[in-house]
Amino acid sequence: MRADRGRLTAQLRSADEPTAEQLRRFDQFLSHKYKRKVPLHWEFDQALQDGFRLQVGSDVYDWTLDGRVRQFQDYLRRLQPGENDILPLMRQAVESWEPSPLPEEMGEVLTVDSSIATVGGLAHAQYGEILVFEGGVKGMVQDLRPDGLSCILFGDGEEVRAGSMVRRTLKTAGMPVGDGFLGRVVDALGVPVDGKGPIRPEGYRPIENPAPGILDRQPVNAPMETGLLAIDSMFPIGRGQRELIIGDRQTGKTAIALDTILNQKGKDVICVYVAIGQKTSSVAQLAENLARRGAMEYTAVITAPAGVSPALQYIAPYAGCALAEHYMHQGEDVLIVYDDLSKHAIAYRALSLLLERSPGREAYPGDVFYLHSRLLERSAHLSDELGGGSMTALPIVETQAGDVSAYIPTNIISITDGQIFLESDLFFAGQRPAVNVGLSVSRVGGDAQTKAMKSAAGAIRLELAQYREMEVFTQFSSDLDETTRRQLAYGQGLMRLLRQPQYAPLSQHQQVILLTAAMDRVMQDVPLNRMDGFRTGLLAHLEEEAPDLCARIDQTGTLSQDDREEILDLSREYLARFRDGGKQGG
Amino acid sequence: MIVERGIITQISGPVVDVEIEGGELPRLREELTVEKSGELRVMEVAQHLDSRTVRCIMLSPSEGLARGLAVDVPGRTIQVPVGEATLGRMFNVLGQPIDGGGPVPEGTPVRSIYRTPPPFEEQSPAVEILETGIKVIDLLEPYPKGGKIGLFGGAGVGKTVLIQELIHNVAMEHGGYSIFTGVGERSREGNDLWREMRESGVSAKTALVFGQMNESPGVRMRVALSGLTMAEHFRDKEHKDVLLFIDNIFRFVQAGSEVSTLLGRMPSAVGYQPTLANEMGELQERITSTKDGSVTSVQAVYVPADDLTDPATATTFAHLDATTVLSRKISEQGIYPAVDPLESSSRILEADIVGAEHYRVARKVQEILEKYRELQDIIAILGMDELSDEDRKTVARARRLQRFLAQPTHVAEKFTGIPGVYVPLKDTLESFAAIVDGELDQYPEAAFYNVGAWRDVVAKARKLEGSV
Repeated sequence: MRADRGRLTAQLRSADEPTAEQLRRFDQFLSHKYKRKVPLHWEFDQALQDGFRLQVGSDVYDWTLDGRVRQFQDYLRRLQPGENDILPLMRQAVESWEPSPLPEEMGEVLTVDSSIATVGGLAHAQYGEILVFEGGVKGMVQDLRPDGLSCILFGDGEEVRAGSMVRRTLKTAGMPVGDGFLGRVVDALGVPVDGKGPIRPEGYRPIENPAPGILDRQPVNAPMETGLLAIDSMFPIGRGQRELIIGDRQTGKTAIALDTILNQKGKDVICVYVAIGQKTSSVAQLAENLARRGAMEYTAVITAPAGVSPALQYIAPYAGCALAEHYMHQGEDVLIVYDDLSKHAIAYRALSLLLERSPGREAYPGDVFYLHSRLLERSAHLSDELGGGSMTALPIVETQAGDVSAYIPTNIISITDGQIFLESDLFFAGQRPAVNVGLSVSRVGGDAQTKAMKSAAGAIRLELAQYREMEVFTQFSSDLDETTRRQLAYGQGLMRLLRQPQYAPLSQHQQVILLTAAMDRVMQDVPLNRMDGFRTGLLAHLEEEAPDLCARIDQTGTLSQDDREEILDLSREYLARFRDGGKQGG
Repeated sequence: MIVERGIITQISGPVVDVEIEGGELPRLREELTVEKSGELRVMEVAQHLDSRTVRCIMLSPSEGLARGLAVDVPGRTIQVPVGEATLGRMFNVLGQPIDGGGPVPEGTPVRSIYRTPPPFEEQSPAVEILETGIKVIDLLEPYPKGGKIGLFGGAGVGKTVLIQELIHNVAMEHGGYSIFTGVGERSREGNDLWREMRESGVSAKTALVFGQMNESPGVRMRVALSGLTMAEHFRDKEHKDVLLFIDNIFRFVQAGSEVSTLLGRMPSAVGYQPTLANEMGELQERITSTKDGSVTSVQAVYVPADDLTDPATATTFAHLDATTVLSRKISEQGIYPAVDPLESSSRILEADIVGAEHYRVARKVQEILEKYRELQDIIAILGMDELSDEDRKTVARARRLQRFLAQPTHVAEKFTGIPGVYVPLKDTLESFAAIVDGELDQYPEAAFYNVGAWRDVVAKARKLEGSV
C-alpha cells in the first residue's frame, strides 16, 4: 500500500526520557514489526505521565492509561453477553484481559468548520467509515483526497478542535435495532432522547443497505389501510408501496401520516416515524399524541430536529429505514414515515456545499435524486422465500406555493408509486383531509384493495372528476337545468362525505357502508350542513341493526350482492327516519 | 491481456480518482476494477486529469473504498454477452445474470457496449406499419416497422402499462426477439414484468437488462447501452428483426445530468448537463434499422411535471418516428390507454404509406375531435340547445369516438376483470370509418366505451337495451 512505501519514522512521546535499554527494545520491536530500520525520535510530553505513545507512520501504539482503558472498553464491547450470565462473563473478562501493543491508526484534525472536519493521516480510512474524535464526537468519512479526508460531524463542531486526535473505528455507520426501540424516541444514531433509560439493542444494521433486488420482491397485494375515506377509497395504499404525501406547509400532511399510524392499532403493523429537521416541540407533541392513543407500543420515533447537525439529519431516514428493514426481514409488515424529505434534501445540500462538491440545479448536488431513490427503493414487499415481509413508505414533501414541478418534488414524485396531493385552498375551505382528487394518484394500491372496498368505491374518482369539470363550466351560468343541478348537488355531497376529522379513522366496514350508500345516491338530498350528523347516525344505525354484516365485511373483505342490498335498505330506512327527525327538530 | 495497475488517490461519492503507475493512461470509457473484500467493483474512466491521473465514475457503491487500494486496468470497455444465450435471461449493466440462473454458458460471445452508429449508407428508412392491435395507436399514430417510437407521459398516466401491453401484443405476435431494458425505474416494476413474461411465455424470446433507480448514476447512464448492444448483435450478426423496449429514456438523461454535476461540469438549461443533446444523439443514432436487420424501439419518456417543453423531453422528440402522448386529462376521464389523440403523431401517417382510406379516416377523426374541443366551452356555458344541427352531430360523434378510443388491455385484465382485446388494423379502420361516416349514430354513447371493433359496439348496445 502506498503509505508504506514512503520513508517511515517513529516518534515516541512520554513524560520521562526513555533509558538506553528501553530505546534498544523499541528499536528491536520496530525493526521486527516493520521489517526494516525505522529511525526513532523521542519527544517530551507533559500530558503523558502514565505511559507513552509511539507513532510510526499513521500507526499509533497508545500505551497511556487512557489508551489501555479504551482497549479494555473495546474488548468488553466485543463480548456477547447472553441473558443472565453477565457477571461471570465480566469476571472472566477482567481476569483474562491483557493489554497488547496493537497499532491503531490515528489522524489529526486539520480544520473544523460548522459541521465538517478535515483530518490528516488515516491513510487507510474507508469511504463511509465512522471516525471518533477526542471528546467522543463521531463523524463519517465523505471525501478522501490525497492530502487528507473530510468527514461530516454527527455532534457539535465546537467540541472538536484542530490538532486533536482522531481514531478509526473500522465500521461503517450502523443503527442499533431491536424491539427495545418500540415505544421510544431516539436520535439518528439510535441513542434515546426521551429520558427513559438506555435501550439494549438486539443487533446492528448498516444504515446504507442495498435495496432488495428484482427477484427478491413480489407484487403489492395487501392493503395498508389509512382509515381515511378519501384515501382508502380513491388512492388505496398497499403494503410495500411508496406513497408520497405532498403539499404546502400547514395543509395536514403530517396529520395523514399520523392518522395512518393510529389506524394500524391491532393490525400487526410496526410503525417507524422519522422526523427530519422539525421542531423538537412538534415531535414531542406527536410522540405524546401517539402515546396517549396507545400507538407508541408499536411505533418507534427517530428524530433529527432542526437544531442538530445536518449530518444527523442526513442519516436519519437511512437509520430509520435500517430499523424498519430489521422487521421487514423478519417477515413483519412495517410502515415508515419520512417527515420530511425536502428538509432532508436541504441538509444534504448543506453538507455537499460545505464539502465543496459542485452545485447543480437549485444548488443541489448531482446525486440528490440518488439520495432519495436509493432510500425509497428499500421499501418493498419481499418474496415468500425471504419471509414475505413488507415496508410501506409514506415520504412527505413540502412544496412552496403548491409548486409540484420544483426539483425535489418532481424527483420524489417520479420515484414513488403515487402521491397524495394536499392543497391549501381546500384546507382553508374546510375540506379536510385536503386531498386534490385530480392530481393524486396511487399506482399499485388498487390491486391491493379488498373486493368490498373496490366494489363500494366503484367509480367515485370518475364521478368527482366529472363534478369538478362541471363545477368549473357552470360557475358563470345562472340558468342550469335540473339534471345538471342534481349532478352538482351529488358531487358536493360526495365532497362533504369525504371530510373527516383528525384522529377518527374509519374501519373497513364503515367505509364500505358510506361509499355504498353514497354511490347509490342515498345522500343526494341530505343538506350539506347536516351531512356529518347523517354520516355518524347512519353508521350507528347499521352497526346496531346489522352487526354480523359489519363483522363479515371486516373479516372477509368481500361484499356480496345481498350484503349490498341490505346496506342500501337499511340506509334508506335511516334516511327516512333522519328526514322526519329533521322536520321535528326544525 | 496486459493488466496495468493503479491506485486510488481520491474518493468523493461516486467520483474516484486513480493514479496510474507507469504505462499509458487508460482511455476514456475504459473499465477499471478494484477488489474490496472479495467483491469486484467496477468504475469507468470519465476524464484524464493529468498525465498520471484519471477521474472515474463508480458503477458500484463507493462505501468501504479507501485511498491506496490497488486498481486493475483490464484495458477494455464494459462488455456484455450477446446472442441466443441471452434470451430468457435477466442481466445487470455489466452483463452479469441477475435471475439466479447461474452464469451464461462458457464461450458466449461478448461485445463492448460502445459502438459507432451505423453509417448513412447502411440506413434503411421505415415505410411499413407495425400493427399493435391498439386502436388509437394503429389509427392515429401508426408505428413504423423498424422505426423509433416514444411514449410520453407524466407520473402515473400509464406509460409502463402501455409498454407492457405493447410487449404483450407485439412481442407475442412478432415471433422475433425482444430486448427489454429497464433504465432507472422501480425495481417493483421489474419484478412485475419478470413475472408477467414468465407467465405469458414471451420470456423465451426476450432478454431483460435492468439498472433500476436504486443503482448509482453511473449504472443508470450506461444500462441503456447494455440493452441496445444485445439488440444490435441480433440485427447485425443474425440479421433479425428485433424489438427493443426502453423504460425509461428520461432516466438516462437524468443520470447523465447527475454524473455531469458530480464531475463539476457547468450546468445548462434547467440544470441539465451541457452535453445533453450529444449524449442523446449518440444513443439514439445507434437505435436504427439497417440493411442487415431492423430494430423497432419503443421508448417510454417520463415528462417531468407534465411539461413537454422540458429539455430532456424536447431533445428526445426529435429522434422519434412516432410519438404517443399520454395525457392526465384523459386518464382522469377513465379512458385507457390515455392517449391524447391530438398531441400524438407519426411520420408515416401519409396517404402513400398507410393508404388513402386510412389517411382519410384518421384525419377525419382528428378533425371531429378538434371541433368538439372548440365547442366544449360554448356547450358548458350555453348548453347543447344553442348549437346548430351540424355541430350537434359533430359533438355526438366526437363523444362516441372518445369512448371508442378506450380499449380493454390484456395487462389490466387481472385488475378490471374485463378481458383485453386485440383489434386488427382492418377492423380498426372499418369501425372508425363507420363512426365518422355516421353509420353508428343510432347506438348509445355507453355502447362505445371500452370495446373492440364496431361489432362489439352493436353487441354492447343490444345488451344495454336488453338490460333496460
